[in-house]
Amino acid sequence: MLLDTAPRRSGVLDALHRIGALARHNLIIRLRDPGQMISYVAMPMVLMLVLKPLYVRALDQGAAQVATGLMVMFSVFAISMAGNAILSERTWRTWDRLRASRAPASELLIGKTLPLFAVMIAQQVILIVYGCLAIGLPVPPSPPLVLLAIVIWAFALLSLGAALATLVRSHGELSVITDVGALTLSALGGALVPLSIMPGWAQTAAHASPGYYALDMMQAAVRGDAAGIAPSAAVLLALGLAAGAFAARRLARGWGRGGLL
Amino acid sequence: MLVATDLVKRYGDVRALDGFTLSVAAGEIVGLLGHNGAGKTTFVEIVSHLVRPDGGRVTIDGRSPSAARGEVGVAPQHLALYPSVTVREHLELYGRLAGLRRAALREAIEELAVVLRLTEIMDRRTGRLSGGQQRRTQAAGALVHRPRLLLLDEPTAGADLETRQAMLDVVRQRAGEGAAVVYTTHYLPELTELRATIAVARSGRIIVRGACDELLRDLPGEVRVTLDGEEEITVSTADPAAALIDLLGRVSRPVTAVDVRNPSLDDLYRSLAVTHAA
Repeated sequence: MLLDTAPRRSGVLDALHRIGALARHNLIIRLRDPGQMISYVAMPMVLMLVLKPLYVRALDQGAAQVATGLMVMFSVFAISMAGNAILSERTWRTWDRLRASRAPASELLIGKTLPLFAVMIAQQVILIVYGCLAIGLPVPPSPPLVLLAIVIWAFALLSLGAALATLVRSHGELSVITDVGALTLSALGGALVPLSIMPGWAQTAAHASPGYYALDMMQAAVRGDAAGIAPSAAVLLALGLAAGAFAARRLARGWGRGGLL
Repeated sequence: MLVATDLVKRYGDVRALDGFTLSVAAGEIVGLLGHNGAGKTTFVEIVSHLVRPDGGRVTIDGRSPSAARGEVGVAPQHLALYPSVTVREHLELYGRLAGLRRAALREAIEELAVVLRLTEIMDRRTGRLSGGQQRRTQAAGALVHRPRLLLLDEPTAGADLETRQAMLDVVRQRAGEGAAVVYTTHYLPELTELRATIAVARSGRIIVRGACDELLRDLPGEVRVTLDGEEEITVSTADPAAALIDLLGRVSRPVTAVDVRNPSLDDLYRSLAVTHAA
């Protein structure tokens, strides 16, 4: 006897169940290959510790600069985590297998990106807490404001990573773009050297870098300046929405049979 | 159950499907044959709602492929597995996506593990399995929710004997329960064993469709008789049994070996290829 054994529930509950299954599945994959997560948390910790004396002597807000700067820089590196996770679905040919399931594209995307989003948020929270405990970053007067800034930045990074993954043809290509891009964008944004002591052209070019807005937003959040985070948060949200919409459109259609190196 | 009418799909200048028409009834196994590029995989992708056709219509139980996705089980031609995830976790994922819950999910997984001979490897990561074990895992993912329509795209490609036998057993079982099955393959004897009806695709359309016996009826078989262990007489005929009786009545020397080969699907395939190439 052939039966459709799936019990029918309300649409929302069914959708939540499927998203939960996908998120759990992707969390398993993340946890079984934690190398990138560990390195993007451990490396900035080491660098903060080593560079702290230099920044503290050179700048008034040296501890804040080194903690937020390196946090922004290594969170940009984490774009490659999102990119690799999505690109792997393509190289393993599993994305089309998922698309053939009952879950619509929106659920697949949410289920796929939810664990990545959580990892990115966790990375930034750990680095801020570490900055306070070990580097001398003043304890932010408004932790929810810092968390809000972290969530917005993680959303923008996740969207950029997802969009990038739909464009590149191999993990090698993705690696080159994310490594070089992360270093350039975050350095240009003032993550390594404060913008105020950078040359004029660099200060102008900085406005084209998401890293600039992330650093501006993060430093305002750490100061407890709610109004100060708004302009940069708006830019990053817009960027995240645009990149996310692009990625969602590409992923919903699948990749077809070509395009890989 | 599945009705596809006049499907057209173009990729640039290539017409992957060009008036592809095929229907499959509940409980029927249709063996879809054809050379590479004949349109088999494109057809499977359209029915799975992965690709939109440029023309034509597909219905599954009267619904569009999009609306009927939960009723379809797909095992794609290429392996599509997560290497760091275990067999059990794969089946849990696809079962949950299809709406199965706790006890029903556990039961479905345990049953499939037995039928597809996966019990021993349920907690191993698929990246560490043999090719045959990976094939069976992939098929299990397509079957876990007991779909009404099964699309198996070369499910035994490169598989060992154990995998092939397990796959044929489960396909027969599911068809017996009422599932419609589309089974694409290059291994023609599998279709004889499945008692499948045959559809042969060529250049994006179905050129022949019918029961295996009917299609083979007019094709020549072969009778080979060896006399005295030396001389060999070979006769091509549509009725090998009658030809053998006739031959044995006519020869006077001792017969030391007899070989009778009935027409096979390979013969059909070759004959169609010649006819349509001409």
